Amino acid sequence: METSATTPVVVCRGLTKTYGVGDTATKALRGVDLDVRPGELLMLVGPSGCGKTTLISVIAGILNQDQGSCALFGQDLALLSPRERVRFRGRHIGFVFQAFNLVPCLTTLENIAVPLLINGVKRDEALRRAARHLDQVGLGDRLGTTPGQLSGGQQQRVAIARALVHDPGLVVCDEPTSALDHATGARVMSALKSLAVRDNRALVIVTHDSRIFPYADRIAHMDDGVIQETRLKPETDAPSCD
Amino acid sequence: MYRIALQMLFGDRGKYLGIIVGIAMASIIIIQQPSILLTMLSHTYSLITDISLPDIWVMDPKVRTSEDSRALLDTQLYRVRGIEGVEWAVPLYKGSLTVRLGNGELERAVMLGLDDATLIGGPGIMVEGNLADLRMPDAVIVDEAGARGRLARHMGRPGEPGIPLRVGDTLEINEKRATVVGIAKATPTFQSQPILYTTYSKAKNYASSERKLLSFILAKAKPGLAPEAVARRIATATDLAAYTADEFKSRSLDFMLHNSAMLMNFGFVVLVGFVVGTAVTGQIFYNFTLDNLRYFGVFKAMGATDRMLLGMILLQALLAGLMGFGLGSGVTAAFAASTWKGNEMKLEVGLPLLCASGLAVLLIVLAAAFFSARKVLRLEPAEVFKS
Repeated sequence: METSATTPVVVCRGLTKTYGVGDTATKALRGVDLDVRPGELLMLVGPSGCGKTTLISVIAGILNQDQGSCALFGQDLALLSPRERVRFRGRHIGFVFQAFNLVPCLTTLENIAVPLLINGVKRDEALRRAARHLDQVGLGDRLGTTPGQLSGGQQQRVAIARALVHDPGLVVCDEPTSALDHATGARVMSALKSLAVRDNRALVIVTHDSRIFPYADRIAHMDDGVIQETRLKPETDAPSCD
Repeated sequence: MYRIALQMLFGDRGKYLGIIVGIAMASIIIIQQPSILLTMLSHTYSLITDISLPDIWVMDPKVRTSEDSRALLDTQLYRVRGIEGVEWAVPLYKGSLTVRLGNGELERAVMLGLDDATLIGGPGIMVEGNLADLRMPDAVIVDEAGARGRLARHMGRPGEPGIPLRVGDTLEINEKRATVVGIAKATPTFQSQPILYTTYSKAKNYASSERKLLSFILAKAKPGLAPEAVARRIATATDLAAYTADEFKSRSLDFMLHNSAMLMNFGFVVLVGFVVGTAVTGQIFYNFTLDNLRYFGVFKAMGATDRMLLGMILLQALLAGLMGFGLGSGVTAAFAASTWKGNEMKLEVGLPLLCASGLAVLLIVLAAAFFSARKVLRLEPAEVFKS
């Protein structure tokens, strides 16, 4: 899907989401408005339970909002059938998870190739493209290793390669550094920033980890289901990973 | 993605082996028990199977199975021979006699007295000797299983294997001397008793205490006439029961099924095997899916359709089922083959039985896949963000 440099990748208006009903109902989102522009790295920060994960789930098209609209690359996800939405997700969104979620019995190469295989790319071609991305995250010599043989930082770099291998327009990351020490987290963020951020791609990262805030272009503070404020790039530079 | 599904299955060796062993065990029970039942049931009409030449069996109307025999008057044979449409008719004696072995032990055996002139009703396959030798004085032919088994000469200590009867050996039947002139192959009877073949006239000598000896009249319909029609004609004319070979087999089988608990008992064991197989396999496969649920969730978030995930789960279940069924049927076939040496209870695992048990195993793995797939298909992809 083509996006111009000025067309927002994500446009959310008046998003609400409530879990449960009656006395046990919890309002996770209470009218969220959010734009994410191409080439931007947006961090969603805020206390636990403020609705960050719910918001990226709606943005990523894996959770339906109750009210409001959310458009990716100009396409309102609510207007798509469930099957179309699954296809849309597979083509345009990359995921990075806190717990890496690499399949333990697959090699790093096969793990990276999964989004391509889901999209119907032939296995040989998928593995060839996966090898290129593995090389880009600095693990070109670990083609045949399984995730269990890698450190946490290496696993997250494999997960980043997996999120980017199908060249998605949006990458959503859930706490990508919270399971890593500071130095490793910095290396992962450097890899993410250098490889993922492109003119036609946006990154949305949910994090508690204030040490990685300097990597953001913009930080949206959430609390109680709404975005309280949005700040531009912090004044401090991104720390070196060396 | 299907290759990845298989890698996931093979990657968890413990559960993979557990699923295969579970299905293999269920397969063994589901194949072996019906195999035993079918073999036993086939023994209820083994006499009819082995005597294939006549196509009509005439007997007392009260006879219910081929194991059962009620004597007829010898004159009935001549009446049957005189009925229109009958090509030929011969007598057959079937009785149970006591055989004294060389070491003094007594054994019950089935004796078949064949028509002296034609020897119709004799064994189809001779292992040693000739069928015509039955015309020699005191001659009997012994079935191979009996010769090796119950009628073998036990000269040593109890429990030691006996020496099989051979041509030339002698026996004492109802205190009368009999000489073995041949060893033949025969399908074991339902009670697995040894079978002794002799002529009808010599059978009168061995079973001298019985006043009437004619158990069955074996008849053949004239060429071009339906055996069923000729059988009805015989029954009407003689007030005896007359059946074609197939009808008599069905009658024998029906009697066994309706008057014994065999079907219920074996059926119950098969049902238990099926239920336990489903429970064990389903549980292990479900646990395997639960262990991989987060990865299925990740695939789902990344754009895998429900159809793709269902295909992956079905492939895993079907492959595990195929492996387990292959192992189970292999073990059962090996067990069945091991029974072929003894001759008394040759288990046969036929294609229809394999197909039926394969279908049962398919149901097991589909049930296992159903519960696992339900869990995966109901999984919200947003769950992947929950660490």
